[in-house]
Amino acid sequence: MSIFIDSETKVLVQGITGNEGSFWTKHMLGCGTHVVGGVTPGKAGQQVEGVPVFNTVRKAVAETKADASVLFVPPAFTKDAVFEALDAGIGKIVVTAEGVPVHDAMEIRAAALSEKAMVIGGNTSGVITPGKAMMGIFPYWIDRVYRPGTIGVMTRSGSLTNEVTAMAIKAGFGVSTLVGVGGDSVPCTRFAELLPLYEKDDGTKTILMIGELGGTMEEEVAEAIEMRVFTKPMVAFIAGRTAPSGKRMGHAGAIVSGGKGSVAGKIKALENVGVFVADRPSAVGPLMQKAVAK
Amino acid sequence: MKLFEYQAKELFAEAGIPVPKGALVENEADCAAAIEKVGLPCVIKSQVLQGGRGKAGLIQLAETKEEALLKAHDLMVNRNVGKLLFEEALSKEKEIYIAVTIDPVDSSALIMASSEGGMEIEEVAVKMPDKIVKERVKMFRALSPFQVRNVMFGLGLKGEAFKQGATILPKMFELFKKFDAELVEINPLILTKDGRLVAADGKVSIDDNAGFRQKRFPITRDHFDSDVEYEAAVKGIPYLQFDGKIALMCAGAGLTNTVYDLINYYGGSVASYLEFGGPNYRRAAEAMDLTLRNKPAVVLIVTFGTIARADVMAQGIVDAIAQLKPSAPIITAIRGTGEEEAAAILKKTGLEPISDTEEAVKRAVELSKGGAR
Repeated sequence: MSIFIDSETKVLVQGITGNEGSFWTKHMLGCGTHVVGGVTPGKAGQQVEGVPVFNTVRKAVAETKADASVLFVPPAFTKDAVFEALDAGIGKIVVTAEGVPVHDAMEIRAAALSEKAMVIGGNTSGVITPGKAMMGIFPYWIDRVYRPGTIGVMTRSGSLTNEVTAMAIKAGFGVSTLVGVGGDSVPCTRFAELLPLYEKDDGTKTILMIGELGGTMEEEVAEAIEMRVFTKPMVAFIAGRTAPSGKRMGHAGAIVSGGKGSVAGKIKALENVGVFVADRPSAVGPLMQKAVAK
Repeated sequence: MKLFEYQAKELFAEAGIPVPKGALVENEADCAAAIEKVGLPCVIKSQVLQGGRGKAGLIQLAETKEEALLKAHDLMVNRNVGKLLFEEALSKEKEIYIAVTIDPVDSSALIMASSEGGMEIEEVAVKMPDKIVKERVKMFRALSPFQVRNVMFGLGLKGEAFKQGATILPKMFELFKKFDAELVEINPLILTKDGRLVAADGKVSIDDNAGFRQKRFPITRDHFDSDVEYEAAVKGIPYLQFDGKIALMCAGAGLTNTVYDLINYYGGSVASYLEFGGPNYRRAAEAMDLTLRNKPAVVLIVTFGTIARADVMAQGIVDAIAQLKPSAPIITAIRGTGEEEAAAILKKTGLEPISDTEEAVKRAVELSKGGAR
């Protein structure tokens, strides 16, 4: 079992004829993803890796019955591309682009919320259900990270996800579905909004949350656990516990300002509701074993 | 990107938000003319981006011309301030806080206002949360007149001040939208003794991601603490300078932050933070050049690539070492796609490929303290 994507999900690739789009289409197909079509305006009739290309999302959906779309579209055109997908009735969208303007991200999130759709990203590797399918840019061939199993992983990072997930795999676990919500200051889907999906999913026994300084997403997760929206065990690792205040540490969302967003505050909130918080990546494996035994 | 106060006020003035009479000075020789223009008493404000300028002595009040010249000299010469904003001193009846910012959860524009202006809003939020008026503007709706009224009533404004406030807030909101702002803040918005509302300070922060459509305010050396940070920003390589011993060259913000934490965990100290992952992964030489600038004792390279190929990074590092001949020892943990090839490339040059991040960090900390290489 999984959330968001499995081998049945009919995936569209917007921006399929570009370098990134075609490269990752090959790999999405390679890991089992049911890629049914691609969209690049003006390129209808072409094929990429045997996948038909359409001019518009509307046409692509009419022909292929696609129900999800992954975007390899530059930041300046991302908002338009997401709106095009929403307009065609697609309910699951992944935005990989790094550098989407914050005001655009707010409009995308507002539109998705009002249309009951889920947009993941931007600035993310995407979503992967190992052994079945992915929408995004994961090196799924790295077996010590992307092994099927029962841990739901949600993360704000890319490389750190490989680092931390590898520690859980080393301890004998695997991943049900991994969702990268992205490193931007306005992610279009927030951690807490994934929890109801993981709660319902029989294939997910525990959660590994890979958080970071800045923002309030980890605190919202603590609230959701407090309110019993989510009841499965959880292990968290949060980067930036010694980051200096007031400095933007890489990701746009990774800054402590006005005392808000500190890792200490996040850890306290999570530990208060029974989340096991690892103080470094190598502590994740043993804590996961403890969490499962709970 | 944060704008300087004088830039924010330039935008305010264009939008029709009242600002004090002011004059910007870059050369000490122009101070007298500036004082002439704004009148006395006057306020001399250092145009720097750090917060708490008042407490740091970077804002000075002067009653006479002589006092103003003396204080301006002190700021420009002794405190090394490049630009001063001279302004008329305002009589204060009341100080208000008002800002438009982003609510990422509700995904709306968030207006915050408080009758306790002058203080940091975070401080008001902790000490007197009931003094903060909040109004959320949905992305697909305009700022409505009722919301403006809610804020003005919430601030306790009456008569002429209410009317003036009700014209200022929509103008702030327009600037917020037009300039892809993350923040448009006036603190304090002063109600003068003669009943005018004037923006005594201004903070505007523009979203870096919107750079492709917001070109009016380019980044300058003044935005950064060091030459190297400025150079890195121009090159598009995330870089921060610290005063410790171990320089980080890592891939991915999350992983770099984690390595930063691990160095502290194992008792070491960080000289600099640099990311050369993602789109920068073929730029090892440029990255290493920046990294070596503040003479680190050790360079620690940690990657676990998603897009970036480990072998390409390893080759880039080997080439960079050949070119730059760093005297500091280099520790490498380069993992991800192509990691076997990467390990072979590193070994050939005499570098030891370490597969475990914490092992690499421990090694770097040891070396930074003068341990055996």
